[in-house]
Amino acid sequence: MNAPPPPSLAPARVAVLFAAGVAALAALPMVAGLSPYTHNLVTLTFLMVSGALAWNWMGGYVGQVSFGHAAMFGVGGFVAARLLLLEPPAPAPLAWLAGGLAAGVFALGAHPTLRLRGPYFSIATIGLGEASRLVFTYWEGFTGGSSGLSLPLDPGTKYRLYWWGLALVALVLAASWLIRRSTFGLQLLAIKADVEAAADVGVNATLYQDVVFALSGVVVGLTGALYASYFSFIEPNDMFGFDRSISLVLMAVIGGVGTIAGPVLGAVVFVLLRQYLLASYPQLYLGLYGVLLVLIILFEPLGLSGLALRLARRVRRRRGSPAGAAA
Amino acid sequence: MDRLVDLAVSAVLLAGLYATMAYGLGLIYGVLRVVNLAHGGIIMAGAYLGWQMHERLGLDPYLSIPVVLLVTYGFGVLLYRVLVRHLPRGAAGGPASLLLLFGVWLLLRNVAYLLFTGNDQAITTSYSTRAVPLLGSFVSLNRLAVLGIAVVTPVALHLLLRRTYLGRAIRAVAQNADSCTVVGVDVERIYAITFGIGSALAGLAGVLSATIFSFNPAFGSGELLKSFVVVVLGGLGSVLGTGLAALILAVAEVFAILVLPSYLTAAVGFVMLVLVLVLRPGGLFGQRVLG
Repeated sequence: MNAPPPPSLAPARVAVLFAAGVAALAALPMVAGLSPYTHNLVTLTFLMVSGALAWNWMGGYVGQVSFGHAAMFGVGGFVAARLLLLEPPAPAPLAWLAGGLAAGVFALGAHPTLRLRGPYFSIATIGLGEASRLVFTYWEGFTGGSSGLSLPLDPGTKYRLYWWGLALVALVLAASWLIRRSTFGLQLLAIKADVEAAADVGVNATLYQDVVFALSGVVVGLTGALYASYFSFIEPNDMFGFDRSISLVLMAVIGGVGTIAGPVLGAVVFVLLRQYLLASYPQLYLGLYGVLLVLIILFEPLGLSGLALRLARRVRRRRGSPAGAAA
Repeated sequence: MDRLVDLAVSAVLLAGLYATMAYGLGLIYGVLRVVNLAHGGIIMAGAYLGWQMHERLGLDPYLSIPVVLLVTYGFGVLLYRVLVRHLPRGAAGGPASLLLLFGVWLLLRNVAYLLFTGNDQAITTSYSTRAVPLLGSFVSLNRLAVLGIAVVTPVALHLLLRRTYLGRAIRAVAQNADSCTVVGVDVERIYAITFGIGSALAGLAGVLSATIFSFNPAFGSGELLKSFVVVVLGGLGSVLGTGLAALILAVAEVFAILVLPSYLTAAVGFVMLVLVLVLRPGGLFGQRVLG
């Protein structure tokens, strides 16, 4: 997987486009009068987009493919849920924030695995993720065991989650962009390209990976926390499940690892596919992701965003060549 | 005391199965430097193959082993020729091959769902519940048979790698593929054969597990992780190291019952995996090149 080209738009234009996009999405429910179904589906998409972008910081920028991010998703979800179940309940935003922070701290526990590279790291994260799932499922006092936790149903909060989710996406997008443009981002790419060479020029790979993993953990934890409020029922085998870790990997890879548009695109496609496939062909959806993975790795390592870039280039060339011949 | 003997016996029996699971993964990684994430899927496929032959043809699961070996060998060769061959090798190709083979695994799982639904299956033979006395405790006949095969397998693998031309070529390719090309070894063919043998070993582990455990299409993920623990713990390529590592894992899992609630014993393997990777990434017994 080669490093994708850095975002090429000029900052001012990017900022304007970005603000316009966020404003449009924020106004959408009022303007378009979304049905509750669509409203909730978009909310869920926001959550998945944030999670995929945060996974991509680790998997795309540092090049460490984690199969264990569900652990942070689960910690975020359950810490937030516990705070919301207090008597009197904690204010929702505070509970979510606490969930995110707890997940970030929990992510630091993965520190010893961070000096592993490539497949060793990936497999170690499977181990950590599955061990977390078992321990948290066993810890009934905290997670309710395999019967899970139910949060009080509150349609108002669920409705408003749309904007909280959108705010999270905006934040994570901005952070992704800043990381990618900064020296820090370049240092991460250096780690991805060659750890030893990066160390030679003074990049402290372990420290940087800790920072990225924790940040990624905070965001995925926040996602989990919002998800807990969204579903108002959470269960450790689902929250900490291997499938959840995989879904983050799939979203980023389908969209394009290491890019910013990639995880966004991937998450949107993932949520829509899942929604429609689960409804009409529940027996096919795993295999479809399998086929997508194989095709993407073989033919377009940058995923859908790579495909889009290629198409754009072809269109430009076709449009450009007759004009060039005329001049 | 009796309890301890029981536990020790079941640990040894389990160790045989774990070692069988691990050889294929270790062989493929040792030669191709590719972690075969589809390993768990092939184990699952082996289990279903054995089960189908028992259900449809009434074939004893132990007699169906040659067929399973052949089919999974063919699948492995095909997998290499069609997909894995096109991937970059080494550090750069790590994530790519991992994700690609993971995709293959998802696909295998889905095919199994479509063909056989998600229900739990098991191979039940006339002797499934038969047990024989051993060291003062009773041991299931199936588990004993599995242990027997698990002892024969590494010997066969060792002889193949050490005593045959093919084995020598495989070891040579593992050491230095470029030099092999120079002296006229068809490296691509050796890679394909190695992938085939590795897959066949996974298939074998699958049928053997199916005689002891129930399975469904998701079967194999725990097995993949355990194989990985064994491979990492045992150091690559050492047949003896793999056996010892399998024993350590099995003992740890079985004896964890004494101190941990049974629900958590499954976590022992995962915790060991992380500890071993972090503390002894070269394996407990050091690294050797195959054999």
